[in-house]
Amino acid sequence: MVYKIADDIISPLGEGTEQNYQALSHGNSALSTYTHLWNLPEPFAASLFTDDQRKKYQVSGLTLFESLLYHSISRALKDTSIDVHQDRVVLIVSTTKGNIGLLESSDFTEERIYPGIAAKTVSDRLGLDSVPITVCNACISGTAALILAERLLDAGFYDYAIVSGTDIQNKFIVSGFQSFKALSAEPCLPFDMERTGLNLGEAVATVILSRKQVEPHSWIIKQGKICNDAYHISSPSKQGEGSYKALLGALQGESMNHLALVNVHGTATMYNDQMESVAVQHASLSDLPANGLKGYYGHTMGAAGLLETIITMKSLDYHRILGTKGFTELGVSGKINISASSRDTDKTSFVKLISGFGGCNAALFATKDEHGVNEVSIPQNLFKAHHVTISTQRIVVDGKELVTESIGKDMLSEVYKTKIGGYPKFYKMDLLSRLGFIASELLLQVSGDDRDKETDDRAVVLFNRTSSIHSDRIHQKDISDEENYYPSPSVFVYTLPNIVTGEIAIRNHYHGETSFYVLPEKDENIMKQVFLSTFQDSGIKSILGGWIDAEDESHLDADFYLLTTNKMN
Amino acid sequence: MDELIKQLKEQIIDVLNLEEMTPDDIDDQASLFGEDGIGLDSIDALELIVLLEKEYGIRLANPSEGKAIFKNVATIADFVSKNRKK
Repeated sequence: MVYKIADDIISPLGEGTEQNYQALSHGNSALSTYTHLWNLPEPFAASLFTDDQRKKYQVSGLTLFESLLYHSISRALKDTSIDVHQDRVVLIVSTTKGNIGLLESSDFTEERIYPGIAAKTVSDRLGLDSVPITVCNACISGTAALILAERLLDAGFYDYAIVSGTDIQNKFIVSGFQSFKALSAEPCLPFDMERTGLNLGEAVATVILSRKQVEPHSWIIKQGKICNDAYHISSPSKQGEGSYKALLGALQGESMNHLALVNVHGTATMYNDQMESVAVQHASLSDLPANGLKGYYGHTMGAAGLLETIITMKSLDYHRILGTKGFTELGVSGKINISASSRDTDKTSFVKLISGFGGCNAALFATKDEHGVNEVSIPQNLFKAHHVTISTQRIVVDGKELVTESIGKDMLSEVYKTKIGGYPKFYKMDLLSRLGFIASELLLQVSGDDRDKETDDRAVVLFNRTSSIHSDRIHQKDISDEENYYPSPSVFVYTLPNIVTGEIAIRNHYHGETSFYVLPEKDENIMKQVFLSTFQDSGIKSILGGWIDAEDESHLDADFYLLTTNKMN
Repeated sequence: MDELIKQLKEQIIDVLNLEEMTPDDIDDQASLFGEDGIGLDSIDALELIVLLEKEYGIRLANPSEGKAIFKNVATIADFVSKNRKK
């Protein structure tokens, strides 16, 4: 468990958490319909920063994405006594697409497109000397970043964590969601009978966490849990299996009596809200008030998990549960107690639920109740078993070279045909997922694992440097020619690097945690910290982990292994 | 119609990356979705919407229309022949 010592939100609705909360308590929303913005053929509703706001937050030498992080973090840091030069502080950035707008621009060096390099730019500007970790876990990134921070601090690797998340909307993102037919042209209607899809939004949100309590009555991030559906890379499990298990994990050992609410994802797509209602009912939380905040902010992607957690904390400080703007009549089959309007509460604990592409789900338990401090056992050592490395020209399995006739992308197809086969989904995967699929298959072939078993206790945790750059460039090409504008949903989905973790989970029926992190460069020490942190989830007994970069068809780099630890209980 | 059906099968194999299939492997009446047929999924359905627009100039305003149209290759061919703009 860790303590929140500061926070900040900057959104189209205001600057600072207090101003944002006040706007919401008055029912304000910045959602409006945009027609022909960025030359997009179809209208969409979104919550976007105004040009004046963009100008105001722009920092010289930084992109808008980096500027927003820098601004919000600087504002939050002012409320703390942290000395970034002296204290052990880590920056954890949550984003899905980072500086992706740079694909169309030559204002900055090309490598700033890589989220780890962007995070390092912000970290350096803040004066931190630790290596920043970027969480790229699709829509759950913000919540996953808080869970990672809680574990890293609990393990004693750092004393403070700055967790900050944002995404800037642009043609790249909106065109992709439109190809998924996921966007509504009107302000969204979460959980409502008439809902027609989600709205995207912009905001930056920051939480600063401390290992030790600084003031009494502060918010405590107690524990979180991440679970994969192992069902589909873009559709949630109809039984809400991953969300259900994440809820159970986050609430493990907690008394339901103290819970004020469950703050859900509530994107207002048909499938998400339906799935969440089933998961909430299955977790026996049907009577608990539930709310969703997308009707105020839209889906702020990398910021969402942080923003919604901060607002829920603030509202409970005011003893209020905010209403679910846009909701009127329940349009889901699971039993869920959606709060249409604001109501009072005297309780000071809640659970945050969120889910995302790649089949990932996360839940986080936060409380102001200082009783019941849980002792977590901290794993100390990692044990590596089996090892697969793939470079552009060479594959080595447990020290033995696998002879192939081809290289690069063709080599992956050759190995699929000669060593694996029977999984035509392979051909639908992008380059990064193909690389991850082949590396994991070769690893599991030598591991002797029972390949058909449903498994809850294995996590898939991968790192890289170049995120999803290969698919990013293909999607950018698909949308660049106005005369030939055909964004492809099957390309867009792979512009989330965590999809490779979902592909491995689906193939192997892994229902444990799946996480994807981007680093400025390969760093075994940071990777070790994160692997050990993953083992703090007492349900995880082994990790399929490693490094995976697929910059283009002739730049492949994978290094996969199976990990266990010497824990505990 | 036979020509259109053959062309559609080739296009479907191409855009959905059904690498190990040939047009002859796809029966005109076989279900495209679900476990008994070709086994396409929800992303494939969205990709077929893009295919109709790109190759035949047909825009499906409401994706739920796709369900009846994408039942099998014969139903797609029938819909395309009646609605194509290019």
